[in-house]
Amino acid sequence: MKFQGVRVEDREVLGSYTLLHYRWRGTVEPGQFVMARMAGYPTTLDPFLARPFSFYDHDGEIASLLFEVRGRGTALLDLAPAMEVTAPLGKGFRIEPGLGRAALLGGGIGVAPLKILRRHLDAAGVPHDVFLGFADAESAVVAREFPGTKVATMDGSAGAHGTVLDATETLQDYGAVYACGPNPMLAAVKLAAGENSLCQLSVEERMGCGNGSCNGCVVPVHGGGYIRSCVEGPVFPAEMLAW
Amino acid sequence: MREKKSGVDLAVELCGITLRTPLIPASGTLSREALGEVEGVYGAMLPKTTTPVAKAGNPPPRVAETPAGMVNSIGLQNPGVERFLQDLDAFDLGLPIIVSVAGDTVADFGWLCERLAGEDRISAVELNLSCPNVECGGLAFCAGPASVEEVVAACRAAAPNKPILAKLTNEGVVENARAAESAGADGLTIMNTIPALTIDASARKVLVRGGLSGPAIKPVALRAVYDVSGVVEVPVVGSGGVVSGTDVAEFMLAGATAVQVGTASFVRDPHEILDEFTSYLRENGCIAAELTGALRSVHPTVMGGID
Repeated sequence: MKFQGVRVEDREVLGSYTLLHYRWRGTVEPGQFVMARMAGYPTTLDPFLARPFSFYDHDGEIASLLFEVRGRGTALLDLAPAMEVTAPLGKGFRIEPGLGRAALLGGGIGVAPLKILRRHLDAAGVPHDVFLGFADAESAVVAREFPGTKVATMDGSAGAHGTVLDATETLQDYGAVYACGPNPMLAAVKLAAGENSLCQLSVEERMGCGNGSCNGCVVPVHGGGYIRSCVEGPVFPAEMLAW
Repeated sequence: MREKKSGVDLAVELCGITLRTPLIPASGTLSREALGEVEGVYGAMLPKTTTPVAKAGNPPPRVAETPAGMVNSIGLQNPGVERFLQDLDAFDLGLPIIVSVAGDTVADFGWLCERLAGEDRISAVELNLSCPNVECGGLAFCAGPASVEEVVAACRAAAPNKPILAKLTNEGVVENARAAESAGADGLTIMNTIPALTIDASARKVLVRGGLSGPAIKPVALRAVYDVSGVVEVPVVGSGGVVSGTDVAEFMLAGATAVQVGTASFVRDPHEILDEFTSYLRENGCIAAELTGALRSVHPTVMGGID
Protein backbone atom coordinates (compact mmCIF):
# COMPACT_ATOMS: atom_id res chain seq x y z
CA MET A 1 0.00 0.00 0.00
CA LYS A 2 1.26 3.43 -0.94
CA PHE A 3 1.51 6.31 1.52
CA GLN A 4 2.11 9.86 0.31
CA GLY A 5 3.67 12.64 2.31
CA VAL A 6 4.98 10.47 5.16
CA ARG A 7 6.69 12.96 7.45
CA VAL A 8 10.22 12.15 8.58
CA GLU A 9 10.13 12.48 12.37
CA ASP A 10 13.87 12.57 12.92
CA ARG A 11 17.21 11.34 11.70
CA GLU A 12 20.16 9.99 13.59
CA VAL A 13 23.66 9.68 12.20
CA LEU A 14 25.24 6.34 13.09
CA GLY A 15 28.76 6.43 11.68
CA SER A 16 28.41 6.18 7.90
CA TYR A 17 24.70 5.34 8.11
CA THR A 18 21.56 7.35 8.71
CA LEU A 19 18.68 6.07 10.80
CA LEU A 20 15.40 7.70 9.82
CA HIS A 21 12.16 7.47 11.82
CA TYR A 22 8.61 7.93 10.59
CA ARG A 23 5.15 7.21 11.88
CA TRP A 24 3.63 4.06 10.43
CA ARG A 25 0.91 1.82 11.76
CA GLY A 26 0.52 -1.62 10.33
CA THR A 27 1.86 -5.07 10.79
CA VAL A 28 5.32 -5.96 9.61
CA GLU A 29 7.16 -9.25 9.40
CA PRO A 30 10.88 -8.87 10.03
CA GLY A 31 12.63 -8.93 6.66
CA GLN A 32 9.85 -7.14 4.82
CA PHE A 33 10.76 -3.91 3.06
CA VAL A 34 9.47 -0.58 1.86
CA MET A 35 9.97 1.32 -1.38
CA ALA A 36 10.71 4.90 -0.40
CA ARG A 37 11.63 8.13 -2.12
CA MET A 38 11.54 11.79 -1.33
CA ALA A 39 7.94 13.02 -1.46
CA GLY A 40 6.77 15.52 -3.94
CA TYR A 41 6.11 14.47 -7.52
CA PRO A 42 6.68 16.32 -9.84
CA THR A 43 9.57 18.06 -8.10
CA THR A 44 11.58 14.85 -7.91
CA LEU A 45 11.61 13.22 -11.36
CA ASP A 46 15.35 12.72 -10.96
CA PRO A 47 15.95 10.27 -9.52
CA PHE A 48 12.77 8.64 -10.67
CA LEU A 49 12.50 5.31 -8.92
CA ALA A 50 11.88 4.62 -5.27
CA ARG A 51 14.53 2.69 -3.33
CA PRO A 52 14.03 -0.55 -1.43
CA PHE A 53 14.86 -0.50 2.30
CA SER A 54 14.31 -3.20 4.89
CA PHE A 55 12.24 -2.25 7.89
CA TYR A 56 14.96 -1.55 10.44
CA ASP A 57 12.53 -1.51 13.30
CA HIS A 58 8.85 -1.00 14.01
CA ASP A 59 7.28 -0.79 17.44
CA GLY A 60 3.72 -0.49 16.18
CA GLU A 61 3.85 3.31 15.99
CA ILE A 62 7.27 4.35 14.75
CA ALA A 63 9.06 2.65 11.88
CA SER A 64 12.66 3.23 10.93
CA LEU A 65 14.92 2.81 7.92
CA LEU A 66 18.69 2.51 7.98
CA PHE A 67 20.58 3.63 4.90
CA GLU A 68 23.87 4.84 3.56
CA VAL A 69 24.00 7.80 1.19
CA ARG A 70 25.27 6.32 -2.05
CA GLY A 71 23.60 8.33 -4.81
CA ARG A 72 21.01 11.00 -5.50
CA GLY A 73 18.10 8.93 -4.23
CA THR A 74 19.58 8.35 -0.81
CA ALA A 75 21.08 11.87 -0.71
CA LEU A 76 17.59 13.32 -1.13
CA LEU A 77 16.17 10.92 1.42
CA ASP A 78 18.79 12.22 3.81
CA LEU A 79 17.32 15.72 3.42
CA ALA A 80 13.66 15.08 2.64
CA PRO A 81 11.07 16.44 5.08
CA ALA A 82 8.64 13.79 3.83
CA MET A 83 8.69 10.57 1.83
CA GLU A 84 6.49 8.47 -0.43
CA VAL A 85 6.46 5.01 1.12
CA THR A 86 5.00 1.79 -0.25
CA ALA A 87 4.83 -0.85 2.48
CA PRO A 88 4.95 -3.52 3.66
CA LEU A 89 6.42 -5.46 0.74
CA GLY A 90 7.84 -8.92 0.19
CA LYS A 91 8.16 -12.02 2.29
CA GLY A 92 10.07 -11.81 5.57
CA PHE A 93 11.94 -14.18 7.85
CA ARG A 94 10.12 -17.21 9.17
CA ILE A 95 10.49 -17.63 12.92
CA GLU A 96 10.27 -21.16 14.24
CA PRO A 97 10.55 -21.52 17.99
CA GLY A 98 11.86 -24.88 19.12
CA LEU A 99 14.88 -25.06 16.82
CA GLY A 100 17.28 -23.93 19.53
CA ARG A 101 19.65 -20.99 19.31
CA ALA A 102 19.60 -18.72 16.30
CA ALA A 103 22.53 -16.89 14.68
CA LEU A 104 21.92 -13.53 13.05
CA LEU A 105 24.53 -12.27 10.59
CA GLY A 106 24.61 -8.86 8.96
CA GLY A 107 27.10 -7.47 6.47
CA GLY A 108 27.35 -3.69 6.08
CA ILE A 109 23.96 -2.11 5.48
CA GLY A 110 22.66 -5.70 5.65
CA VAL A 111 22.39 -5.21 9.40
CA ALA A 112 19.15 -3.35 8.66
CA PRO A 113 16.54 -6.13 9.07
CA LEU A 114 18.28 -7.71 12.06
CA LYS A 115 17.01 -5.14 14.57
CA ILE A 116 13.34 -5.91 13.98
CA LEU A 117 14.14 -9.60 13.61
CA ARG A 118 15.73 -9.49 17.04
CA ARG A 119 12.60 -7.85 18.46
CA HIS A 120 10.45 -10.66 17.05
CA LEU A 121 12.84 -13.41 18.17
CA ASP A 122 12.76 -11.98 21.70
CA ALA A 123 8.97 -11.95 21.62
CA ALA A 124 8.96 -15.59 20.47
CA GLY A 125 11.46 -16.55 23.16
CA VAL A 126 14.14 -17.63 20.70
CA PRO A 127 17.67 -17.22 22.13
CA HIS A 128 20.11 -15.77 19.60
CA ASP A 129 23.57 -14.36 18.91
CA VAL A 130 24.31 -11.49 16.56
CA PHE A 131 27.39 -11.17 14.35
CA LEU A 132 28.01 -8.07 12.28
CA GLY A 133 30.62 -7.38 9.64
CA PHE A 134 31.61 -3.96 8.29
CA ALA A 135 34.17 -2.33 6.03
CA ASP A 136 35.66 -0.22 8.81
CA ALA A 137 35.17 1.24 12.29
CA GLU A 138 33.10 4.14 10.98
CA SER A 139 30.41 1.91 9.51
CA ALA A 140 30.67 -0.36 12.57
CA VAL A 141 29.32 2.46 14.75
CA VAL A 142 25.81 1.11 14.10
CA ALA A 143 26.76 -2.01 16.07
CA ARG A 144 26.03 -0.07 19.26
CA GLU A 145 22.36 -0.52 18.36
CA PHE A 146 22.90 -4.26 18.84
CA PRO A 147 24.11 -4.84 22.41
CA GLY A 148 26.11 -8.02 22.96
CA THR A 149 27.10 -8.30 19.32
CA LYS A 150 30.34 -9.66 17.92
CA VAL A 151 31.85 -7.44 15.23
CA ALA A 152 34.40 -7.87 12.47
CA THR A 153 35.79 -5.26 10.09
CA MET A 154 37.53 -5.79 6.79
CA ASP A 155 40.31 -3.36 7.70
CA GLY A 156 40.61 -4.63 11.25
CA SER A 157 39.88 -1.19 12.75
CA ALA A 158 37.17 -2.60 15.02
CA GLY A 159 36.48 -6.10 16.32
CA ALA A 160 37.88 -9.13 14.55
CA HIS A 161 39.85 -8.66 11.35
CA GLY A 162 37.96 -10.02 8.36
CA THR A 163 34.42 -10.77 7.28
CA VAL A 164 31.41 -11.36 9.48
CA LEU A 165 32.23 -15.07 9.46
CA ASP A 166 35.52 -14.20 11.19
CA ALA A 167 33.44 -12.90 14.11
CA THR A 168 31.85 -16.34 14.51
CA GLU A 169 33.34 -19.61 15.71
CA THR A 170 31.01 -22.02 14.01
CA LEU A 171 27.50 -21.75 12.65
CA GLN A 172 26.99 -25.52 12.70
CA ASP A 173 25.65 -25.53 16.27
CA TYR A 174 22.77 -23.17 15.59
CA GLY A 175 19.25 -24.38 14.90
CA ALA A 176 18.48 -21.36 12.75
CA VAL A 177 20.66 -18.95 10.79
CA TYR A 178 19.43 -15.60 9.53
CA ALA A 179 21.59 -13.42 7.31
CA CYS A 180 21.43 -10.24 5.27
CA GLY A 181 24.24 -8.66 3.28
CA PRO A 182 25.97 -8.68 -0.09
CA ASN A 183 25.48 -11.82 -2.18
CA PRO A 184 29.05 -13.19 -1.73
CA MET A 185 28.61 -12.94 2.04
CA LEU A 186 25.26 -14.76 1.86
CA ALA A 187 26.82 -17.52 -0.22
CA ALA A 188 29.58 -17.90 2.37
CA VAL A 189 27.04 -17.97 5.23
CA LYS A 190 25.05 -20.65 3.42
CA LEU A 191 28.17 -22.77 3.11
CA ALA A 192 29.19 -22.20 6.74
CA ALA A 193 25.71 -22.96 8.07
CA GLY A 194 25.67 -26.41 6.50
CA GLU A 195 22.45 -28.27 5.97
CA ASN A 196 21.30 -29.00 9.50
CA SER A 197 19.83 -25.62 10.32
CA LEU A 198 16.98 -23.51 9.05
CA CYS A 199 19.02 -20.99 7.05
CA GLN A 200 17.29 -17.94 5.61
CA LEU A 201 18.97 -15.28 3.52
CA SER A 202 17.71 -11.78 2.82
CA VAL A 203 19.14 -10.66 -0.52
CA GLU A 204 20.12 -7.16 -1.60
CA GLU A 205 19.12 -6.51 -5.20
CA ARG A 206 18.55 -3.45 -7.33
CA MET A 207 14.83 -2.99 -7.80
CA GLY A 208 12.71 -1.13 -10.29
CA CYS A 209 9.10 -1.45 -9.22
CA GLY A 210 9.00 -3.39 -5.94
CA ASN A 211 5.66 -4.98 -6.89
CA GLY A 212 6.67 -7.88 -9.11
CA SER A 213 6.09 -6.10 -12.40
CA CYS A 214 9.52 -5.43 -13.88
CA ASN A 215 11.44 -8.65 -13.10
CA GLY A 216 14.46 -6.48 -12.42
CA CYS A 217 15.44 -7.79 -8.98
CA VAL A 218 15.84 -11.49 -9.68
CA VAL A 219 18.17 -14.01 -8.07
CA PRO A 220 19.17 -17.39 -9.55
CA VAL A 221 17.41 -20.45 -8.14
CA HIS A 222 18.34 -24.12 -7.96
CA GLY A 223 17.00 -26.01 -10.94
CA GLY A 224 17.59 -23.05 -13.25
CA GLY A 225 15.96 -19.73 -13.89
CA TYR A 226 15.42 -16.70 -11.72
CA ILE A 227 12.99 -15.61 -9.06
CA ARG A 228 11.93 -12.09 -8.07
CA SER A 229 13.31 -10.85 -4.77
CA CYS A 230 10.55 -8.24 -4.34
CA VAL A 231 7.60 -10.65 -4.35
CA GLU A 232 8.97 -14.13 -3.69
CA GLY A 233 11.70 -12.66 -1.42
CA PRO A 234 13.65 -10.76 -0.29
CA VAL A 235 14.08 -13.54 2.28
CA PHE A 236 14.68 -16.97 0.77
CA PRO A 237 15.42 -20.37 2.27
CA ALA A 238 19.16 -20.77 1.57
CA GLU A 239 18.69 -24.05 -0.27
CA MET A 240 16.49 -22.35 -2.85
CA LEU A 241 19.26 -20.07 -4.13
CA ALA A 242 21.78 -21.22 -6.73
CA TRP A 243 24.87 -19.71 -5.11
CA MET B 1 -18.72 0.54 -22.03
CA ARG B 2 -17.81 4.20 -21.70
CA GLU B 3 -16.05 5.59 -18.68
CA LYS B 4 -17.49 8.95 -17.71
CA LYS B 5 -15.53 10.38 -14.89
CA SER B 6 -17.13 13.58 -13.70
CA GLY B 7 -18.98 13.76 -16.99
CA VAL B 8 -15.87 13.59 -19.19
CA ASP B 9 -15.91 11.01 -21.97
CA LEU B 10 -12.59 9.15 -21.83
CA ALA B 11 -13.31 6.46 -24.42
CA VAL B 12 -11.33 6.00 -27.61
CA GLU B 13 -11.52 3.53 -30.50
CA LEU B 14 -8.36 1.61 -31.33
CA CYS B 15 -8.40 -0.73 -34.35
CA GLY B 16 -12.12 -1.31 -33.87
CA ILE B 17 -11.77 -1.96 -30.14
CA THR B 18 -13.45 0.41 -27.69
CA LEU B 19 -11.16 1.42 -24.84
CA ARG B 20 -12.94 3.00 -21.86
CA THR B 21 -9.87 5.12 -21.24
CA PRO B 22 -6.94 5.74 -23.60
CA LEU B 23 -4.44 4.30 -21.11
CA ILE B 24 -2.80 0.91 -21.63
CA PRO B 25 -0.05 -0.62 -19.49
CA ALA B 26 3.21 -0.88 -21.45
CA SER B 27 4.32 -4.48 -21.83
CA GLY B 28 6.38 -5.84 -18.95
CA THR B 29 5.36 -3.19 -16.45
CA LEU B 30 2.24 -4.65 -14.83
CA SER B 31 2.34 -7.97 -13.02
CA ARG B 32 -0.55 -10.07 -11.77
CA GLU B 33 0.40 -9.08 -8.25
CA ALA B 34 -0.10 -5.39 -9.04
CA LEU B 35 -3.45 -5.72 -10.84
CA GLY B 36 -5.40 -4.86 -7.69
CA GLU B 37 -3.80 -1.40 -7.67
CA VAL B 38 -4.95 -0.31 -11.11
CA GLU B 39 -8.69 -0.95 -11.15
CA GLY B 40 -10.54 1.57 -13.30
CA VAL B 41 -7.42 3.08 -14.84
CA TYR B 42 -6.81 1.27 -18.08
CA GLY B 43 -8.75 0.83 -21.30
CA ALA B 44 -7.09 -2.49 -22.11
CA MET B 45 -4.84 -5.00 -20.41
CA LEU B 46 -1.43 -5.76 -21.85
CA PRO B 47 0.55 -8.44 -19.97
CA LYS B 48 4.27 -9.00 -20.29
CA THR B 49 5.59 -10.24 -23.64
CA THR B 50 5.13 -13.94 -24.29
CA THR B 51 7.43 -16.14 -26.38
CA PRO B 52 6.96 -19.62 -27.93
CA VAL B 53 8.81 -21.33 -25.07
CA ALA B 54 9.84 -20.20 -21.59
CA LYS B 55 12.75 -17.78 -21.27
CA ALA B 56 14.83 -17.55 -18.09
CA GLY B 57 15.85 -13.98 -18.86
CA ASN B 58 19.21 -12.28 -18.38
CA PRO B 59 21.49 -12.65 -15.36
CA PRO B 60 21.31 -9.79 -12.85
CA PRO B 61 21.93 -6.90 -12.55
CA ARG B 62 18.97 -6.14 -14.78
CA VAL B 63 18.03 -2.61 -13.80
CA ALA B 64 19.94 0.57 -13.13
CA GLU B 65 18.68 4.02 -12.36
CA THR B 66 19.70 6.90 -14.61
CA PRO B 67 18.77 10.60 -14.55
CA ALA B 68 14.95 10.70 -14.73
CA GLY B 69 14.83 7.16 -16.00
CA MET B 70 16.02 3.59 -15.77
CA VAL B 71 17.90 1.15 -17.95
CA ASN B 72 16.64 -2.41 -17.99
CA SER B 73 17.84 -5.64 -19.48
CA ILE B 74 15.32 -8.23 -18.37
CA GLY B 75 15.69 -10.54 -21.36
CA LEU B 76 11.97 -11.25 -21.79
CA GLN B 77 11.77 -13.59 -18.80
CA ASN B 78 8.43 -15.39 -19.21
CA PRO B 79 6.95 -18.86 -18.83
CA GLY B 80 6.19 -19.41 -22.53
CA VAL B 81 2.91 -19.05 -24.40
CA GLU B 82 1.12 -22.18 -23.19
CA ARG B 83 1.59 -21.32 -19.53
CA PHE B 84 0.81 -17.71 -20.39
CA LEU B 85 -2.56 -18.74 -21.80
CA GLN B 86 -3.31 -20.91 -18.76
CA ASP B 87 -2.73 -17.89 -16.51
CA LEU B 88 -4.37 -15.32 -18.76
CA ASP B 89 -7.68 -15.24 -16.88
CA ALA B 90 -5.91 -13.36 -14.08
CA PHE B 91 -5.73 -10.43 -16.50
CA ASP B 92 -9.44 -10.62 -17.34
CA LEU B 93 -10.71 -7.45 -15.71
CA GLY B 94 -13.53 -7.15 -18.22
CA LEU B 95 -11.28 -5.13 -20.51
CA PRO B 96 -9.94 -6.00 -23.96
CA ILE B 97 -6.68 -7.94 -23.69
CA ILE B 98 -3.78 -7.10 -25.99
CA VAL B 99 -1.03 -9.72 -26.03
CA SER B 100 2.58 -8.73 -26.65
CA VAL B 101 4.55 -11.40 -28.53
CA ALA B 102 8.20 -11.90 -29.39
CA GLY B 103 10.23 -14.61 -31.10
CA ASP B 104 13.71 -15.39 -32.34
CA THR B 105 12.61 -15.84 -35.96
CA VAL B 106 9.89 -14.70 -38.33
CA ALA B 107 8.45 -18.21 -38.08
CA ASP B 108 8.26 -17.84 -34.27
CA PHE B 109 6.21 -14.68 -34.64
CA GLY B 110 3.94 -16.30 -37.19
CA TRP B 111 3.47 -19.40 -35.03
CA LEU B 112 2.60 -17.31 -31.99
CA CYS B 113 0.07 -15.24 -33.92
CA GLU B 114 -1.54 -18.38 -35.27
CA ARG B 115 -1.70 -19.82 -31.75
CA LEU B 116 -3.34 -16.65 -30.41
CA ALA B 117 -5.71 -16.22 -33.36
CA GLY B 118 -7.95 -18.96 -31.96
CA GLU B 119 -8.21 -17.37 -28.51
CA ASP B 120 -11.46 -15.45 -28.07
CA ARG B 121 -10.14 -13.81 -24.93
CA ILE B 122 -7.54 -11.89 -26.93
CA SER B 123 -8.61 -8.67 -28.65
CA ALA B 124 -5.34 -7.76 -30.37
CA VAL B 125 -1.69 -8.69 -30.68
CA GLU B 126 1.27 -6.36 -30.22
CA LEU B 127 4.49 -7.42 -31.96
CA ASN B 128 7.57 -6.64 -29.89
CA LEU B 129 9.93 -5.98 -32.78
CA SER B 130 12.84 -4.81 -30.64
CA CYS B 131 13.92 -8.35 -29.82
CA PRO B 132 16.90 -9.79 -31.71
CA ASN B 133 16.34 -11.77 -34.87
CA VAL B 134 18.67 -14.77 -34.59
CA GLU B 135 18.47 -15.35 -38.35
CA CYS B 136 19.88 -11.88 -38.99
CA GLY B 137 22.87 -12.01 -36.66
CA GLY B 138 20.88 -10.78 -33.68
CA LEU B 139 19.85 -7.47 -35.22
CA ALA B 140 16.46 -6.36 -33.98
CA PHE B 141 13.48 -7.16 -36.18
CA CYS B 142 12.88 -3.43 -36.42
CA ALA B 143 16.45 -2.78 -37.58
CA GLY B 144 15.15 -1.97 -41.04
CA PRO B 145 11.98 -1.78 -43.16
CA ALA B 146 12.61 -5.05 -45.00
CA SER B 147 12.61 -7.18 -41.86
CA VAL B 148 9.70 -5.22 -40.37
CA GLU B 149 7.69 -5.88 -43.50
CA GLU B 150 8.56 -9.58 -43.51
CA VAL B 151 7.62 -10.22 -39.89
CA VAL B 152 4.45 -8.14 -39.97
CA ALA B 153 3.30 -9.83 -43.18
CA ALA B 154 3.85 -13.27 -41.61
CA CYS B 155 1.82 -12.30 -38.55
CA ARG B 156 -0.91 -10.73 -40.68
CA ALA B 157 -1.30 -14.00 -42.58
CA ALA B 158 -1.21 -16.07 -39.39
CA ALA B 159 -3.86 -14.07 -37.52
CA PRO B 160 -6.18 -12.55 -40.11
CA ASN B 161 -8.91 -12.11 -37.48
CA LYS B 162 -6.91 -10.14 -34.88
CA PRO B 163 -5.84 -6.53 -35.00
CA ILE B 164 -2.03 -6.36 -35.06
CA LEU B 165 0.00 -3.54 -33.51
CA ALA B 166 3.66 -3.34 -34.49
CA LYS B 167 5.78 -1.94 -31.64
CA LEU B 168 8.78 -0.11 -33.04
CA THR B 169 11.88 1.41 -31.58
CA ASN B 170 12.90 5.00 -32.28
CA GLU B 171 15.70 4.37 -34.74
CA GLY B 172 14.39 4.55 -38.31
CA VAL B 173 10.88 4.76 -36.95
CA VAL B 174 9.25 6.57 -39.90
CA GLU B 175 10.51 4.12 -42.52
CA ASN B 176 9.73 1.16 -40.30
CA ALA B 177 6.24 2.50 -39.62
CA ARG B 178 5.54 2.79 -43.34
CA ALA B 179 6.80 -0.78 -43.84
CA ALA B 180 4.62 -2.13 -41.03
CA GLU B 181 1.57 -0.38 -42.39
CA SER B 182 2.11 -1.62 -45.93
CA ALA B 183 2.57 -5.18 -44.61
CA GLY B 184 -0.85 -5.03 -42.98
CA ALA B 185 -0.37 -3.77 -39.42
CA ASP B 186 -3.61 -2.36 -38.03
CA GLY B 187 -1.77 -0.01 -35.70
CA LEU B 188 1.66 0.97 -34.41
CA THR B 189 3.03 1.29 -30.90
CA ILE B 190 5.59 4.09 -30.92
CA MET B 191 8.07 3.56 -29.26
CA ASN B 192 10.06 1.01 -27.27
CA THR B 193 12.93 1.77 -24.88
CA ILE B 194 16.06 3.41 -26.30
CA PRO B 195 19.34 1.41 -26.38
CA ALA B 196 21.41 2.56 -23.41
CA LEU B 197 24.31 1.62 -21.16
CA THR B 198 25.23 2.19 -17.54
CA ILE B 199 28.72 1.73 -16.15
CA ASP B 200 30.00 1.16 -12.64
CA ALA B 201 33.14 3.29 -12.72
CA SER B 202 34.53 2.06 -9.41
CA ALA B 203 34.26 -1.58 -10.45
CA ARG B 204 35.20 -0.72 -14.07
CA LYS B 205 32.48 -2.81 -15.54
CA VAL B 206 29.25 -2.54 -17.46
CA LEU B 207 26.36 -2.42 -15.05
CA VAL B 208 23.38 -2.76 -17.39
CA ARG B 209 23.33 -2.71 -21.18
CA GLY B 210 19.70 -2.48 -22.17
CA GLY B 211 16.86 -0.09 -22.86
CA LEU B 212 16.24 3.35 -21.35
CA SER B 213 12.74 4.23 -20.17
CA GLY B 214 11.16 6.86 -17.96
CA PRO B 215 10.56 10.59 -18.31
CA ALA B 216 14.06 11.08 -19.75
CA ILE B 217 12.87 9.66 -23.09
CA LYS B 218 9.53 11.46 -23.39
CA PRO B 219 10.57 14.15 -25.89
CA VAL B 220 12.10 11.49 -28.13
CA ALA B 221 8.91 9.42 -28.03
CA LEU B 222 6.73 12.47 -28.63
CA ARG B 223 8.66 13.34 -31.75
CA ALA B 224 8.48 9.76 -33.01
CA VAL B 225 4.71 9.70 -32.49
CA TYR B 226 4.33 13.09 -34.14
CA ASP B 227 6.43 12.19 -37.16
CA VAL B 228 4.91 8.74 -37.64
CA SER B 229 1.29 9.79 -37.25
CA GLY B 230 1.88 12.39 -39.96
CA VAL B 231 2.75 9.74 -42.55
CA VAL B 232 0.59 6.68 -41.76
CA GLU B 233 -3.16 6.14 -41.81
CA VAL B 234 -3.28 3.49 -39.09
CA PRO B 235 -3.68 4.50 -35.42
CA VAL B 236 -0.63 5.08 -33.26
CA VAL B 237 -0.30 4.07 -29.61
CA GLY B 238 2.12 6.43 -27.90
CA SER B 239 4.65 5.02 -25.44
CA GLY B 240 7.75 6.41 -23.79
CA GLY B 241 8.19 8.41 -20.61
CA VAL B 242 4.55 9.13 -19.82
CA VAL B 243 4.36 10.23 -16.19
CA SER B 244 1.40 12.59 -15.94
CA GLY B 245 -2.04 13.29 -17.35
CA THR B 246 -0.55 16.20 -19.25
CA ASP B 247 1.92 13.79 -20.85
CA VAL B 248 -1.04 11.65 -21.99
CA ALA B 249 -2.63 14.73 -23.55
CA GLU B 250 0.64 15.66 -25.26
CA PHE B 251 0.96 12.23 -26.85
CA MET B 252 -2.63 12.36 -28.10
CA LEU B 253 -2.20 15.88 -29.46
CA ALA B 254 0.90 14.61 -31.25
CA GLY B 255 -1.23 11.98 -32.95
CA ALA B 256 -1.64 9.02 -30.58
CA THR B 257 -5.02 7.32 -30.29
CA ALA B 258 -4.07 5.63 -27.01
CA VAL B 259 -1.13 5.96 -24.66
CA GLN B 260 0.90 3.43 -22.71
CA VAL B 261 2.07 3.93 -19.16
CA GLY B 262 5.14 1.92 -18.19
CA THR B 263 7.95 2.85 -15.84
CA ALA B 264 5.85 5.63 -14.30
CA SER B 265 3.54 3.02 -12.80
CA PHE B 266 6.47 1.86 -10.63
CA VAL B 267 6.49 5.25 -8.97
CA ARG B 268 3.10 6.88 -9.37
CA ASP B 269 -0.38 5.58 -8.70
CA PRO B 270 -1.77 5.36 -12.27
CA HIS B 271 -5.13 6.61 -10.95
CA GLU B 272 -3.46 9.99 -10.49
CA ILE B 273 -2.38 10.01 -14.12
CA LEU B 274 -5.94 9.28 -15.25
CA ASP B 275 -7.33 11.92 -12.88
CA GLU B 276 -4.93 14.52 -14.24
CA PHE B 277 -5.85 13.60 -17.79
CA THR B 278 -9.55 13.88 -16.93
CA SER B 279 -8.93 17.32 -15.44
CA TYR B 280 -7.11 18.38 -18.58
CA LEU B 281 -10.09 17.36 -20.71
CA ARG B 282 -12.52 19.13 -18.42
CA GLU B 283 -10.49 22.32 -18.36
CA ASN B 284 -10.19 22.27 -22.13
CA GLY B 285 -13.83 21.39 -22.72
CA CYS B 286 -13.15 18.33 -24.87
CA ILE B 287 -13.46 14.56 -24.83
CA ALA B 288 -10.56 12.11 -25.14
CA ALA B 289 -11.29 11.01 -28.70
CA GLU B 290 -11.14 14.59 -29.99
CA LEU B 291 -7.55 15.07 -28.88
CA THR B 292 -5.88 12.65 -31.29
CA GLY B 293 -3.85 14.67 -33.77
CA ALA B 294 -5.62 17.88 -32.76
CA LEU B 295 -2.31 19.68 -32.90
CA ARG B 296 -2.15 19.39 -36.65
CA SER B 297 -5.56 20.93 -37.24
CA VAL B 298 -4.49 23.99 -35.27
CA HIS B 299 -0.94 24.31 -36.54
CA PRO B 300 -0.05 23.10 -40.02
CA THR B 301 2.60 20.40 -39.88
CA VAL B 302 6.07 21.79 -39.70
CA MET B 303 8.66 19.03 -39.86
CA GLY B 304 11.39 21.29 -38.63
CA GLY B 305 14.15 20.83 -36.16
CA ILE B 306 17.59 19.40 -36.18
CA ASP B 307 17.58 16.85 -38.98
